[in-house]
Amino acid sequence: MTAHVDLSLAAPLTKARRRRGQHGLRNAAIVLITVVWVLPVLWIMATAFKPPSEAAGLALWFAPTLANLFASFDVPYLLGSRLLNSVLVTAGTLAIAIPVSTAAAYAFSRFRFPGGSAAPLVLLATQFLPPVIIVIPLFVVFRNLGMLDTRLALVIANLSFVVPYATWMIKGFFDALPVDMEEAAQIDGASRLMALWSVVVPVAVPGIATAAIFSFVVSWNEFFYALVLTRDHAITLPVALMSARTEQGDAWEIMATMGLFIIAPMLVISRFVQRYFVAGLVSGAVR
Amino acid sequence: MKDRYLKYALLAPALLVCAATLFYPLLQSLIYSTQDWNLGRSPAPEGFAGLANYAALLADPDFLGSAKVTLIFTLPSVLLTIVVAMAMALLLADNGRLQVNARTLLVIPFAMSPALIGISWRFMLNPEFGVADAVVRWFLPGLDAAPILSDPVLAMAALIAVDVWHWAPYFMLTFIGALAALPRDTVDAAQVDGAGKIRIFFEIMLPQLWPVLTIAILLKTIFSLKMLDQVVTMTAGGPGVATDTLPHMIYTTAFRFYDIGYASAMAWLLAIVMMGLAMLYSRFVMGGSK
Repeated sequence: MTAHVDLSLAAPLTKARRRRGQHGLRNAAIVLITVVWVLPVLWIMATAFKPPSEAAGLALWFAPTLANLFASFDVPYLLGSRLLNSVLVTAGTLAIAIPVSTAAAYAFSRFRFPGGSAAPLVLLATQFLPPVIIVIPLFVVFRNLGMLDTRLALVIANLSFVVPYATWMIKGFFDALPVDMEEAAQIDGASRLMALWSVVVPVAVPGIATAAIFSFVVSWNEFFYALVLTRDHAITLPVALMSARTEQGDAWEIMATMGLFIIAPMLVISRFVQRYFVAGLVSGAVR
Repeated sequence: MKDRYLKYALLAPALLVCAATLFYPLLQSLIYSTQDWNLGRSPAPEGFAGLANYAALLADPDFLGSAKVTLIFTLPSVLLTIVVAMAMALLLADNGRLQVNARTLLVIPFAMSPALIGISWRFMLNPEFGVADAVVRWFLPGLDAAPILSDPVLAMAALIAVDVWHWAPYFMLTFIGALAALPRDTVDAAQVDGAGKIRIFFEIMLPQLWPVLTIAILLKTIFSLKMLDQVVTMTAGGPGVATDTLPHMIYTTAFRFYDIGYASAMAWLLAIVMMGLAMLYSRFVMGGSK
């Protein structure tokens, strides 16, 4: 009799223990994964505050210094000017791309065009081509126009990938909005354009914000076009990283300091990055 | 304004931008690919070459070698990214506190500039003081003392590993979305029948995830084929030509040797392959939304 009671009690106990063990294993795996993905980022950020003598080392404890920050802003690295270039190029790209893409997205979403619904997808599909195929002719054109190494050239080049992506993303949001509101506004005497501006755009702000965040992230991080189209005057932060590799060896603490400035806005907006940037990408990838 | 005009007026700015920055360059590089043109020799194309550039490419051992390197990079990077991302998704799919926080943190590396990722890993793989190098050697004590990035096989392995590191969190989020959309009843029924977790995944969840996986594999293949920033910042194609993928070879041909015609032909050969993949992708995405 007692044996029977023992058994019935023991069974769920071991099951619960096994489940707890499984959870422990799973949680350990989650922590390990997070460490593998986050530690390198922290390591680079820490290197920015290490004295140059300790940057090339495995020291976990060090006396943090701001010397690298000052050195980075000084000759020859000129972080200030690179930062300004990055800010202006990104701002210029967004200032043009977002209104242009919003208008196109609305047109694609609400009107019929020859070519049907495939047109925006074709636009998106151009982004699957290797960027180098676009940049060769752009380089030749900018060279002939004397526009190499200018911020304007970079803004124009960035539009080639920001506009298609942003149009595709914002179109997705317009597609999900009911047409009723605009029709109601139009019945009230508003023109279609006014209805777009005063009725549709305010409702679509989350979608436009998603596209703007995405466009910000890809423009801010853009490397290859800037590498090809700039030499000195218009160099942006990601390309400036390469300048830390000098004849005398690699100035890793400078590289890390520049990296800090590249990552900083991503961390500041990381909650939005999580919500909007990824939501945007996922909407483009799997619909 | 009539709707008929309005719709084209709304579209016009975007069309203008795309015409100038996409359609014109695509057409122009196609024209360059049929021309003899070294920008170092001459500021303008030096004559019509017909398909000579393409013919030369197909007999060029450097080009064929680079195509092989591209495949050696692409196949494992696609496969590993998908497998790692799926494993991460299964671990992190629940909405527990640990999982939600881990997901937030895991997105940070993905939002990093690819150039910064490449240069950071080059730093961390430095044999004298690199933290990643130290970890690798701790796990593989038998490893040759030579720097990882100066060994042809290890440099490629490092490039693949960093690429998986870069992309796995993104595909993880895609897969978490797909897992959440799976109907619960079949899984629950299998659990009641006493099926193990591994069997449930392979026999019930995986078949339903197949459409998402197909699109993910296609997308990652495209991303791997055009990956360039990390090659430039991490290995510069080296040692020798061990990591000289096609995008990198096109880049050096065009902007180090200024052979615009030859580089354009190379770019178009790569683009044709990628257009095929892009068309497949469009078919799947259009099919999925209908």
